[in-house]
Amino acid sequence: MKDSNIEDILRQAKPVVKEDPTFLMETRRRMEQVEGIKKEVDRQHKKSRIILIVTLVAGLVLGMLAMAVVFLYPSLFQGFDSSFLAGIKDFLVKWKQFLPYPVAAIAIALSLVLTLKPKESLS
Amino acid sequence: MTSEQFIDLVRTEQEPLRRFLLALCSGDAPLADDIAQEALIRAYVSSGSFLGRSKFKTWLFRIAYNCYIDHCRKAAPARLDAAGGEALNLPSGDSADSRFRYQQLYQALDRIPEKEKAAIVLFYFEDKSIKEIAVILDMPIGTVKYNLSMGRNHLREYITI
Repeated sequence: MKDSNIEDILRQAKPVVKEDPTFLMETRRRMEQVEGIKKEVDRQHKKSRIILIVTLVAGLVLGMLAMAVVFLYPSLFQGFDSSFLAGIKDFLVKWKQFLPYPVAAIAIALSLVLTLKPKESLS
Repeated sequence: MTSEQFIDLVRTEQEPLRRFLLALCSGDAPLADDIAQEALIRAYVSSGSFLGRSKFKTWLFRIAYNCYIDHCRKAAPARLDAAGGEALNLPSGDSADSRFRYQQLYQALDRIPEKEKAAIVLFYFEDKSIKEIAVILDMPIGTVKYNLSMGRNHLREYITI
């Protein structure tokens, strides 16, 4: 069979799509379901964000209060001896020259994650 | 993109999309429509990430093709069993000879590799350009031409009329 013959058959054999008014209705119904799921996911994300912010603010306030107490009433902590804190202090003093590297790495990673543009999704 | 804007776009594109999938599914209209629905929902979910680098229609066809490939991977054994079945939804109002010829064509299409089949369907049934087919099938232009040529050769082997 010639190439032109097969091309003729292919051009003539275009399939016929039966008109189906329920097709778009079904699409719309599924889209509404997707919207419902999206709203629920958004609600959960919003809830998580609020919890995160509240935790952050509470941490900051408690930290500030603790600092204020330490500075205002140093006598309360004179007898306080913590080998754990001393260990941390020793570690920081010993490795202070390497501390900028992890800090820089985290900063770069965060900036990359936050500035990355979303790719065109093709599912 | 709002849901109404999306529906408006889909209203104009649904027929070619369903026809494309109908040809890929060898005339199985319910299956083609199922895949079309899945493709539309996937497109709707990721419509926020549609950057307009390609036409909406091309983007939709690409998603539909990916859905079809996913379906083929899941249903590979069933598909093998179904090979050789009667092709449905042939152009109506034709003579018995034409109907037989179309049936042979659809059965032959079902036997050729998926990429060749998709390239043939897009080029001859949907009148897509080689460039658009390359975007939809995610392959270089040269590979599309090769698949079209190989597809025609394979069809010539399988069609005995």
